[in-house]
Amino acid sequence: MLRIEGLSAGYSAKPVLNGVSINVEAGEFVAIVGPNGAGKTTLFKTISGIVKPSGGGISFDGVDLLAVPPPQRAHLGIAHVPEGRQVFPSLTVMENLEMGAMTESGRRDWQANIERIFEWLPVLKERRNQFAGTMSGGQQQMLAIGRGLASSPKLLMLDEPSMGLAPSTADFIFERLIEIRRQSGLTMLLVEQRVAEALESADHGYVLEAGHVVLEGNNDTLRADDRVRKAYLGM
Amino acid sequence: MEGFLQALAAGLLIGAVYGLMCVGLGLIFGVMRVINFAHGDFMMLGMYVAFYLFTAVGIQALFGNTVGPFVAILLAGPALAVFGYFVHLALISHVSGTRTASLEGEGHYAQLILTLGIALILQNGGLIIFGSVLASIRTPLSSSAWELGPFFDMSIFLNKARSIDAIVSLAIMTLLSLLITRTRIGKSLRAAADNPTAATYMGIDVDRAHRTAFALGCGITAVAGGLLATNYPFHPFVGLEYVIVMYAGVVLGGMGSIIGAFWGGMTIGLVQQMSTLILPTQLQNAAIFAVFLLIIFFRPQGFFGRMVERT
Ligand SMILES: Nc1ncnc2c1ncn2[C@@H]1O[C@H](COP(=O)(O)OP(=O)(O)OP(=O)(O)O)[C@@H](O)[C@H]1O
Ligand SMILES: [Mg+2]
Repeated sequence: MLRIEGLSAGYSAKPVLNGVSINVEAGEFVAIVGPNGAGKTTLFKTISGIVKPSGGGISFDGVDLLAVPPPQRAHLGIAHVPEGRQVFPSLTVMENLEMGAMTESGRRDWQANIERIFEWLPVLKERRNQFAGTMSGGQQQMLAIGRGLASSPKLLMLDEPSMGLAPSTADFIFERLIEIRRQSGLTMLLVEQRVAEALESADHGYVLEAGHVVLEGNNDTLRADDRVRKAYLGM
Repeated sequence: MEGFLQALAAGLLIGAVYGLMCVGLGLIFGVMRVINFAHGDFMMLGMYVAFYLFTAVGIQALFGNTVGPFVAILLAGPALAVFGYFVHLALISHVSGTRTASLEGEGHYAQLILTLGIALILQNGGLIIFGSVLASIRTPLSSSAWELGPFFDMSIFLNKARSIDAIVSLAIMTLLSLLITRTRIGKSLRAAADNPTAATYMGIDVDRAHRTAFALGCGITAVAGGLLATNYPFHPFVGLEYVIVMYAGVVLGGMGSIIGAFWGGMTIGLVQQMSTLILPTQLQNAAIFAVFLLIIFFRPQGFFGRMVERT
């Protein structure tokens, strides 16, 4: 579904990604882990078109993504739940969800989607008329996830949904994501610092370090790898 | 007492039109974060477009002297919106929106120079094309009044043209706030203002949202200008007189608050008219800025502004 081949990208003369290749098949749950500054967020921004690549290619559902203008990419079925949540603070929860549903499929499935989102993340229903900017970090993260789901995406990209949250809140959000995935079968690409949890639930994982994929495999391979055990799992 | 009520009424009437004028600028600043120094000159252009639509294009013949001016003024709105659309497309979009990431100072320096340049071109171009003779869009209503009252043997007189100006302003303001708060387009404008990057992730074309806001802002201020022109004569440099009021209104309302800009403009209209009760007319503008500084001293974020930085 998503094929990234030899992707290089960075910020004005500062290379960050260096020949990164990643593959996500339809229905898969793929996790990307790696230390701070490895380029995980940069990779997501390049997929969404905010960062322009200097080399390599990305195709999505057979479409050359780099030829698609950034705001059009959501309409192809890519939902990006960004690092740091980035909800629209002066819009209400409901309006934030409506913004998620700007895509054609999101508009078409609005009623069904909103019911499911409220079922999965009931706090959004309770607070639907609250301004997003006044919500707690965990609530904003749930809103960011709900907003991503509201577009009826084919691929949900999540950038560190546990960032800056209390462990119990992060656990809760993680558990919700697993449940959403179990019920919907949605294809997911997750970037996570909570390596143990991420690798445990993912079908396939990539380790990104300093702009290179240093390791990839299914979760058993990765969890059995010495380097992963030492560096990320603390074993 | 009678003088007070009279000034209050006059202040509310002119305040509504100032409010509309400020909202045009507030919309542009609120959505795009671009300081448009040419906005007063877009308004000047709107005044002349209304003037020529009325006198030269046959609207006077078609609708007569009473209704005609208001038809022309309302048509100047879409005309300036189209003009603003193309100015944004050809010029402003190069130094704002998604292009700012690669520019020095997020494009603010370039925006400053560009909008000042547009202002100079419009002013001097206006002088060449329209000449320096004062123009106005007078209607018979401009010199007649409705009498309100008498209450307790006091009567208030409302200038008919100014009253209609205020009603038109309020009507447009109502439509605009419905557009901003209720419609998909309005919500996506606010989303693009809140967080352009996240808006792009939602599939919102931020540059197009900016273009929409810029066009709308120009159209709205053009109508406000036309309404002002039913009572105040104008010339190609009239924008300079109003642009200060516009900025004061936007700051008072709270930078970034679109509806707030209306109340900022309203406040300025009220202060201007009420100050005539105690101050000579020449000090009207001084009074406006004294009150402006006072309000900003106690409420630096303006009426509707938030102290928190946007995320
Ligand atoms: N807008 C930017 N301009 C310049 N450099 C940037 C920018 N954003 C990120 N970088 C740099 O690019 C590198 C990769 O950053 P990125 O945010 O992709 O890392 P990350 O893997 O997501 O890290 P984290 O786990 O901390 O979120 C870092 O060295 C960072 O300093
Ligand atoms: Mg990151």
